[in-house]
Amino acid sequence: MAVFYRIAIQSSIYGCRSMSMFPKHFGDPLRKKDMEDLNKSELTKFYHIPIKAALNNHSDTVFSDEIKLKMMNYITKNGNKALARGLLSRTFEIIKRAQTERLHLSPTDKQNVNTNAEKLLIEAVENSRPLLQLTSIKRGGVNYQVPVPITKKRSYFLAMKWLLDAAFEKDKKVCLPERLAWEILDAAHGQGRVIKKKDDVHKQCESNRAYAHYRWS
Amino acid sequence: MRIPGALYAARGRAPQSEKDVPFQEILPLRLKNTVSGKADSGSDVACLQEMGMLFACMKDNEFVEKYCHKEIQQFQNCFKCYMDRKFEAKKTVNQGVVQPGNNLNYKQLNKYMRRFPNPV
Repeated sequence: MAVFYRIAIQSSIYGCRSMSMFPKHFGDPLRKKDMEDLNKSELTKFYHIPIKAALNNHSDTVFSDEIKLKMMNYITKNGNKALARGLLSRTFEIIKRAQTERLHLSPTDKQNVNTNAEKLLIEAVENSRPLLQLTSIKRGGVNYQVPVPITKKRSYFLAMKWLLDAAFEKDKKVCLPERLAWEILDAAHGQGRVIKKKDDVHKQCESNRAYAHYRWS
Repeated sequence: MRIPGALYAARGRAPQSEKDVPFQEILPLRLKNTVSGKADSGSDVACLQEMGMLFACMKDNEFVEKYCHKEIQQFQNCFKCYMDRKFEAKKTVNQGVVQPGNNLNYKQLNKYMRRFPNPV
């Protein structure tokens, strides 16, 4: 209580308290993975400037991955990230089990079976990324569905959203990790509902290509 | 005696008194000291040709992406270039550095006109 009181007095003296954020001259924290991409002359720049504290979800392990972290955030509901993390790791476990089983069933082509669940997730997301998107634009009182190119970031978002939407659309008896695992496995092999959805979007864009010049910011 | 109508026509109708219809200045009769930035935003249409090529290739190969690798690359590079250019343009507009020349954007024009406003 005393602490709050002191802060209140301080803020009244200085007029306004600045937001709790790092000043502009602070550099972003670097992960080891990012440091390997930079060459030495670029790294020397960071020797003498203060660096911001690392983010909570940053990690230097070889298992940390951007797509994995994003996927975890998209699974999260009501801020319950611990649950999301558990669900994702359970998903990976199911994928790993399924792929290992497949590996033992077909001993002839062992090279073709990928048992790395994290690689499979990345592959699935890459396979289900759309190139274009339809947006509704009003011209002369009529709404046209116009194909527009999308940024890389949005294409990743859409791919992961579609994967999760497909996974959430299930019976109540089946748990999410199981469904998600099968969707990921399907998408990684270039088949399934998510890939079909992506192809549908592309086909719609193709049939509406005549409206492409209606694009307007 | 009946007066022929042609005699009236030569004189014409008497003009209306200005007191009856006083002039109202609905909008100010001078130009504003600013311009709006609407025209500078321009149209968003870019990479139409690349998109057409991509569609043609996709249609030929039944929407299998691995056969249209070249077209996809071209399309994405074009869009990325376009976005980068747009971003840079926006940055220069926001800097608001006024340089001499006739090709000024709206922020630069507004800066000029603030220095030489219309007399009130």
